[in-house]
Amino acid sequence: MMNTRKKLKRKFNLRDEIDAWVLLLPMVVILYLFVWRPTVMGAAWSFFDMKAYTVKDFCGFDNYIRVMTHTQFLPMLLNTVKYVLWSLVIGFLPPLFIAIMINEVIHFKNGFKVIIYVPAVIPGIAAMLMWYFMYYPDQTGLLNMILSKIGVEPKQWLNDPSFTIVGIIIYSTWKGFAGTMLLYYASLQSVSVELYEAAIIDGAGPLRRLGYVTRPAMEGIILLQLVRQIISVFQIMEQPLAMTGGGPNGASTSLSYQLYQYGFNSGGKGTGQAMALGVIIFLILIVFTIFYFWLNRKIEDRC
Amino acid sequence: MKARKIISLVLALALCVMTLAACGKKTNDKDEQGRTVISVGGWPDKEGTELDNAVARKEAFEKENPDVVIKPDKWKFDLKTFYAKAAGNQLPNYFSVHATEVSQIIDSEYSADVTDALEKYGYLDKMNPDILELVRKDGKIYAIPAYAYVMGVAFNPEMLKAAGLLEADGTPKQPKDWYELAEFAVKIKKATGKPGFVFPTAANNGGWIFNPIAWSFGVDFMEQDKDGKWKATFNTPEAVEALQYIKDLKWKYDVLPANTLIDGTEYYKTFATGNAAMMITAGDYPRKVTQYGMVPDQVGMMGMPAGPKRHVTLMGGTMFAVSSDATEDQIDAAIRYHGTQFHHSLSDAVKDSLEREMKKKLEEGQLVGIKSMSVWNANAESLAYEYDLIDKNANSNPNHVRLYNEFVANCPAEIQPEEPVCAQELYAILDGCIQEVLVNKDADCAELIKKAAADFQANYLDNLTF
Repeated sequence: MMNTRKKLKRKFNLRDEIDAWVLLLPMVVILYLFVWRPTVMGAAWSFFDMKAYTVKDFCGFDNYIRVMTHTQFLPMLLNTVKYVLWSLVIGFLPPLFIAIMINEVIHFKNGFKVIIYVPAVIPGIAAMLMWYFMYYPDQTGLLNMILSKIGVEPKQWLNDPSFTIVGIIIYSTWKGFAGTMLLYYASLQSVSVELYEAAIIDGAGPLRRLGYVTRPAMEGIILLQLVRQIISVFQIMEQPLAMTGGGPNGASTSLSYQLYQYGFNSGGKGTGQAMALGVIIFLILIVFTIFYFWLNRKIEDRC
Repeated sequence: MKARKIISLVLALALCVMTLAACGKKTNDKDEQGRTVISVGGWPDKEGTELDNAVARKEAFEKENPDVVIKPDKWKFDLKTFYAKAAGNQLPNYFSVHATEVSQIIDSEYSADVTDALEKYGYLDKMNPDILELVRKDGKIYAIPAYAYVMGVAFNPEMLKAAGLLEADGTPKQPKDWYELAEFAVKIKKATGKPGFVFPTAANNGGWIFNPIAWSFGVDFMEQDKDGKWKATFNTPEAVEALQYIKDLKWKYDVLPANTLIDGTEYYKTFATGNAAMMITAGDYPRKVTQYGMVPDQVGMMGMPAGPKRHVTLMGGTMFAVSSDATEDQIDAAIRYHGTQFHHSLSDAVKDSLEREMKKKLEEGQLVGIKSMSVWNANAESLAYEYDLIDKNANSNPNHVRLYNEFVANCPAEIQPEEPVCAQELYAILDGCIQEVLVNKDADCAELIKKAAADFQANYLDNLTF
């Protein structure tokens, strides 16, 4: 008796939810066609020989072996890790720092916010080309122009194998920090003013307030942001594509850039390897993603 | 409430149907009146002479051939989108392909066998057999060569004049070998302060241009052994010497631009904006430099210098292919359509096409004067007419391009097509070597070549799947 009533109730609920499902349907179809299906099929087809975009025979781990034994695989993996490390060194603290500064200033607060957000609204490729010309290695490059004014020899910038990744990360930081900054800023806003007032009454200076009031409130979001940054920089692709072509001599080639080369610049011979490399990147990132969700839950529980 | 539900349901379904409709397959090859429909790729998407020319050609063709309808398709050949289009059966029936990529298209079996139709319309015995070899596989022809070229040296007459390398009548001094070319570049740099030479390094362009130089130093890049396996054969002193030459251009002669990441676009831009006086390129390059404001008087061309071992130049061109899903009727119609612009006999249609093309070049301010290599074997009527048109409409000093025209007409060099397998992959690897020797003064050429040959063997030749 009890059971049937429960079933009835569930049926009734489903009927109730049909509105929501109908409204969701187009989105579900689009997600299915453009996200879920390609992801699953890509993983499945990475075990097949491909002739351009046509699936041929099952070939086990052949594609994976080809990707991993590619003589440039390790250098490219290393480059990718370099991108991530440099992005943490160069790009991790500035947004936080600027968010705290904006939070502290009293006049022109909105003006600062707008000015700082400008790089984020410039279209990506246009911004990359702009920086490409700023880094241009002869006297027509903006940075070299400045250097020559102060009597320093022109530098090679992106043409310099030891600087090219740093150069790309400086650009990416400039382009991307504003969004992160706003996130930090919003979370700073939620720190109760009373806590600061209490701290001031107790005689705490700006640094101690930062250490004892701001830090505990911000820790969670900073940690999440760290993991998110690692995940997103690990997939860096457009910047080397537009700014260096992966050069000089592969010095700025990341795994994702290589995936693009396999997929679109190999005369159709690398399609299988492209999907295999996609799965490899996926597996590396899933570790970080699981950590991210675990961290996220932990932080939400704490709040 | 109920009405809202129905409306949302209908809207949702409509969206789904629309999304799915975009993925539909191509319909059959006939329209309701039984005419054969062929889609033609690379249709101009902007108003202007080019579009007018295409429309005029279409209308004239449909009038002559009432059994065929031309369906314009704006997709222009691009290797990045080609395979996706092909796998989705969305290729136009008739599209152009660059010679450098045509073997990949043929290998992947997305271009139709057009041998019979070419035979029927009298192409096969009238074409240059060397060029036909580029599109032949197992005895069958899979694309139709339309334009051909051999590489030579492009130069900026104003800059050569400044360095005293241009005779009073406008004829340039032809560098007889690569080392003389480097010396000329030094003179130009001394006289103008600008780099005397530019060499591409990225997006496979570096390797592509490096190939004929390496050949002239005596390099063989690959060979097939008895079992049909391909072996990289360029870990040799000759290849090291050729790479050393590129390195010397930067560190010994110092005649190259400061930027060392130069893809195809950057290559032509550097030359066209007067930031380099010479480059190696094909005879059709005037169309690539006009957009940067280069006027015909600044565009010159001469022959390819010789190397220490051989005098050789690279042959390429533009082909047209018919998609592999085309029916017999469509193939037949596509070849007929091809014949209204490219045929050895001078029909009215071909005449009109040539005149329209000439008008377009003049309007765009392109140099007219270069007589490229012909796809026809000898004395084709249409070729004589085309050369005649060029002479009549030449818009600059003919001596600027005379040496190249003579080089083409009576080639003192061997003419060699691109490498047979994995050419693009080879170019990419050579790009890396070239970038390395241009950024690193202490780069070890022998070590780089050794690694390049090993990489090419391990990453590509050992992994040939088709």
